[in-house]
Amino acid sequence: MKKLFLLLTLSILVLAGCAPSSSTTKLTFANAGWDSIAFHNATMGTIIETLYGYEWEEVMGSTPITYEALMSGEIDIYSEIWTDNLASYENDVATGRFELLGMNFNDNNQGLYVPRYVIEGDPERGIEPMAPNLRYVSDLPQYWELFRDEEDPSKGRLYGGIPGWAVDEILRNKFDHLNLGETFNYFSPGSDPALSAALAGAYQRGEAIVGYYWEPTWLMGLYDFVLLEDEPFNETLFADGVGEFKSSDVTIGVRRGFTSEFPEVAEFLSQYTTSSSLTSSALSYIEETGASYKDAAKWFILNHQDLVATWLSAEEFNTLIAALQ
Amino acid sequence: MNWIYEFPFQLTIDTSAIDQGVRSFALTFDSVLRVIRQGLTTILLAISDLLTFIPWWVLVLLVIVLYFKQSKRLWMSIIYGVLLSMIGMIGLWPLMISTLSIVITAVILSVAIGFPLGLLLSLSERANMIMRPVLDTMQTMPVFVYLIPALLLFGLGRVPAVMATIIYAIVPIIRLTNLGIRQVNPEIVEASRSFGATTLQTLIKVQIPQAFTTIMAGLNQTLMMAMAMVVTASMIGAPGLGAEVLIAVNRIEVGRGLVSGSAIVIVAIILDRLSQGWVKPSEEEGI
Repeated sequence: MKKLFLLLTLSILVLAGCAPSSSTTKLTFANAGWDSIAFHNATMGTIIETLYGYEWEEVMGSTPITYEALMSGEIDIYSEIWTDNLASYENDVATGRFELLGMNFNDNNQGLYVPRYVIEGDPERGIEPMAPNLRYVSDLPQYWELFRDEEDPSKGRLYGGIPGWAVDEILRNKFDHLNLGETFNYFSPGSDPALSAALAGAYQRGEAIVGYYWEPTWLMGLYDFVLLEDEPFNETLFADGVGEFKSSDVTIGVRRGFTSEFPEVAEFLSQYTTSSSLTSSALSYIEETGASYKDAAKWFILNHQDLVATWLSAEEFNTLIAALQ
Repeated sequence: MNWIYEFPFQLTIDTSAIDQGVRSFALTFDSVLRVIRQGLTTILLAISDLLTFIPWWVLVLLVIVLYFKQSKRLWMSIIYGVLLSMIGMIGLWPLMISTLSIVITAVILSVAIGFPLGLLLSLSERANMIMRPVLDTMQTMPVFVYLIPALLLFGLGRVPAVMATIIYAIVPIIRLTNLGIRQVNPEIVEASRSFGATTLQTLIKVQIPQAFTTIMAGLNQTLMMAMAMVVTASMIGAPGLGAEVLIAVNRIEVGRGLVSGSAIVIVAIILDRLSQGWVKPSEEEGI
């Protein structure tokens, strides 16, 4: 018995000796669960790995948890900080709890969406237009019966924001401001995947649905939704629910002390900037071809060389393209 | 040496075929799903209306009286009454009622399905062998894996929340009903048989009463597990205390989370004590 045990221990030790070992520095990206952040991580990661030789990995977690991990230094890079969804963001920037490097994109849409077939119909699927004159959020009360809430059939159901996101409160104010409460229930969808499933499920069944969503997302790329219009953006009354949403700033942040440890990486990240439509195009590419995020990142860099050139020095840019081709 | 650390064979599973399958299932059985949803909604609304109809002080008195009848401990009964009133004082009463209506609906349906199923498993060895891995799956499969297809089929709201709760909480009542019946002394069963009782008579008059304590322990566990699902249920649109916790967690508001989390704990403790009380009298009557 003892001999057997000794043999087993020895063989494990031998195997452990054979195991691949790594000693290079690993940079940690936050992956808060949605697809565009994974794409941006892959793009930044690919460039950092090719040019500066650091390995990279992602840590999965919910938005608040990964954001807290950035503050505590367990996460190095956060490629998409949706500033409107974080209550303490302004304060955290001001008090230097992390280092703000730049803007990833700020031309994204958000608001209340309906499937296009609700307004225009879809002859291919045999769907008649249900609400041909629906254009503004304030038109909704006329059509509440289309959006009937099965758990309370006397009213329609409006899918609101994710609980805890700043937008949830703004939408609730908008709901009161437009007196939607007389004909609609404000339904809290609970979580991001649940809201996506509700919208996707209704779309597949060809039913009418109205709910909050945002771009760039795979859902908006895959299905044809229309953003309902509202009064023009109003700086002062925005938080009270008046007027349309302004686009949310999506910024890039790194943990405290990152810039002094990895100056060349920080310099690149501060130049990194994309747009909502560029991100969407990459997500559609993934959806259509089934490519991995890394493949999509490579595809993106090679197909948008003019843009990538603005992030890097000419020498770095040439090295990158040569290495990827 | 590569095969020591890497599998020599690789299988590719076409997960998008499964996605397609779920989608076409939803489209084909739309009307059936609608009927199920309608039925569950009716039960849920009836229970929710009943709970909303009861004034708060009646519910508090009910808890005090029920616990006192079981335990004969006046002080503890009053403490539980005060704890329950505290939920109202911090303004969470309507949320608690809405949470309770989901939990109670799920528990009633769990018992209605789980108890007969447990009896069946205790009588048939084969059914037992088939169901064991199924029950294990129901308890350990991560909730969101089957929740997302459930959402595609049923939409968001309280109905899918009740169904998710049932899938998780039904297991103990099935297991312990099964166990309780199997643990009844075979000599007692034999005796009743030799007096000419049929299988059904033996089951109803001898085995179930003998197994009552264990079955009630199963009910208690089912209730506790249904309470444990409250926050998860709120992630698919169930209103109530769970949604309050979720908001607090998403905003990193520790205090708010602690307050609403404590309210869930209070409700759970009271439900636990009340349902444990049903176990004890039968223990005293036992042989």
